[in-house]
Amino acid sequence: MEQNNKLLDVKNLIKVFVIGSGFVRSKITAVENVSFELQMNKPEIFTLAGESGSGKTTLARMILGFIPPTSGSISYKGKEISKLNGREMELWFMKEVQPVFQNPFETFNPLKKVDSYLYETAINYGIASKKDAHKFIDESLNLVGLSLQEVAGRYPHEFSGGQLQRISIARALITKPSLLIADEPVSMVDASLKMSICNLFKELKERQGVSIIYITHDLATAYYVSDRIAIMFRGNIVELGPVEKILTDPKHPYTKVLRDSVPEPDPERRWQGRIELSSFEEREYQSKGCRFAGRCPYVMDICKNKLPEDILLDGRMVKCHLYGSDSNKTVS
Amino acid sequence: MSILRAERLKAYYISEIFGIKRTVRAVDEVSMDVDNNEIFGIAGESGCGKSTLIKALLGIVKPPLTILGGEVNYDLGDKRFNIFSLSQKESKNIRWEYISYIPQSSMSVLNPVRRIRDSFKSFINAHKKMGKSEFNSLVEEHLNLLGLPTEVLNAYPHQLSGGMRQRVTIALATILRPKVIFADEPSTALDVVVQRGVIQLLKDIQQEQKNTIILVTHDMAIHANICDRIAIMYAGKIIEEAKTQEIFKHPLHPYTKYLIGSLPRIGDKSYRVSAPGSPPPLSNLPSGCSFHPRCPYITERCKSDAPSLVEVGNNHKVACFLASKEG
Repeated sequence: MEQNNKLLDVKNLIKVFVIGSGFVRSKITAVENVSFELQMNKPEIFTLAGESGSGKTTLARMILGFIPPTSGSISYKGKEISKLNGREMELWFMKEVQPVFQNPFETFNPLKKVDSYLYETAINYGIASKKDAHKFIDESLNLVGLSLQEVAGRYPHEFSGGQLQRISIARALITKPSLLIADEPVSMVDASLKMSICNLFKELKERQGVSIIYITHDLATAYYVSDRIAIMFRGNIVELGPVEKILTDPKHPYTKVLRDSVPEPDPERRWQGRIELSSFEEREYQSKGCRFAGRCPYVMDICKNKLPEDILLDGRMVKCHLYGSDSNKTVS
Repeated sequence: MSILRAERLKAYYISEIFGIKRTVRAVDEVSMDVDNNEIFGIAGESGCGKSTLIKALLGIVKPPLTILGGEVNYDLGDKRFNIFSLSQKESKNIRWEYISYIPQSSMSVLNPVRRIRDSFKSFINAHKKMGKSEFNSLVEEHLNLLGLPTEVLNAYPHQLSGGMRQRVTIALATILRPKVIFADEPSTALDVVVQRGVIQLLKDIQQEQKNTIILVTHDMAIHANICDRIAIMYAGKIIEEAKTQEIFKHPLHPYTKYLIGSLPRIGDKSYRVSAPGSPPPLSNLPSGCSFHPRCPYITERCKSDAPSLVEVGNNHKVACFLASKEG
């Protein structure tokens, strides 16, 4: 096996969806040239944040191998995912990278007992034989603060959303993955239980050494759990770096707008000023230059014609002409 | 002066299937006062009964929802009435013109096969007779005021983005200048930037039309941003009610303390703790105080008696033996 210190290496990933057929075809670029990497031996929680339609879920589905990219490459532990054969995919990759989905009530079939999913995962991946599966299942349930005794023989409706999400995380942990991909894992969970799921992710990272790609639109929980954050806008990562830097001192105009729109849970710090909303969002996908140019308060001529480069600035990556070569800050 | 007063309102879902009776205590002995020209927030988790409370306050009661007791009185200046004693025709006249409603999913209000203009037409014609030019100028003026382009009138709902659709719905719900507006999670399904726009719009309308908004959402940060007063619901009851600043600074009920203490804030990574356990199902509530199985300060009395909502000073009401004794 090729030695490499990268856990996940995403390079120039592009996904174009073709809509319609025959003469009435249109293309939507859901993910447009996305690159980032996660290091091995240094577990972290990496957040992909953005509005709906920014391409974050498409990106996650490509990393999980659910849909093939149009171009670009995804390597996991030095092996390119698209080149894995079926056997490697099942016995190695799918064990290593596990998903956690958004709605815990949809993850589980309401007519099936919850523990049957746990047994299936353990047995189908060859983790355990039928006899000792319960031991492994109990272990991973313990990690999320539950036990097999509480779960055995019960149906999904007997649990709360928070509990089901824990079970769904426990299921993902049975295969001892190195990477969890959690797509909006707390958005359907009750407010009073949200933070317990966030704390669970932190614990998994610290104690089990699991890296987590946390996909969310909620910047406040992203700030709380993650180490690094990538802000996505219309298929591009516009800013990437340590979460403290990006959310307390955003550089990209879009990140600034996003950051300012997060309501503070503090009546003393209400929203100041006003914002403008775009009336016609579809145009943003099709514009030639920077996708944010139509709404950007600092827009220049170059923004409308040319997509900005990735620029390194103050310990982060920013994709914006404001910090471009004219000010000699470009690092190629 | 209060514009809306609910007294000991009890609304249960009662169903009987094959002789098995099931009672869901969605709204249990709720009393509340909403002042004129304020934004009153109702907060609570999913399944705590907040949407049912709105239905009851609006007088939309269809089986299995049953009103078992209590009154809802409106005092709209020239009109005073108990919402449950209105005839069908009267409540039809009052709805939209005096009491309006903004739902969470805007697709359920806008007819997908009719242009936005037609939706406005049927809304207005049900209440006021007016000519074509009068109608056009009224609608265009209202849209301009709210900062919406008038082209949306010729669009079908599916041609608009989610945020635009929600803003059109708000425009529709407020065009007759209602006195009271109920907004049920108006910004929940939207992106943060759009959410801010929608909340900004609600606030503008409230200031311009001088009406009262009752805002229901689970998002405490939204409440902090626009509400004057907040009521916290848990398991079908209001457990705490106070001015926004007061409730965020000095939450008294243990549940409210958890709810506010666990809110993540950008710029603060300190450890947050969620309330232990999970909310009880409304069909099978624990005895005494519904929060007692999750409460860290439980006493013997909490297991048998349910505390009532009492004022502890500073217009701060709380339903907890611990807090009301202290106060």
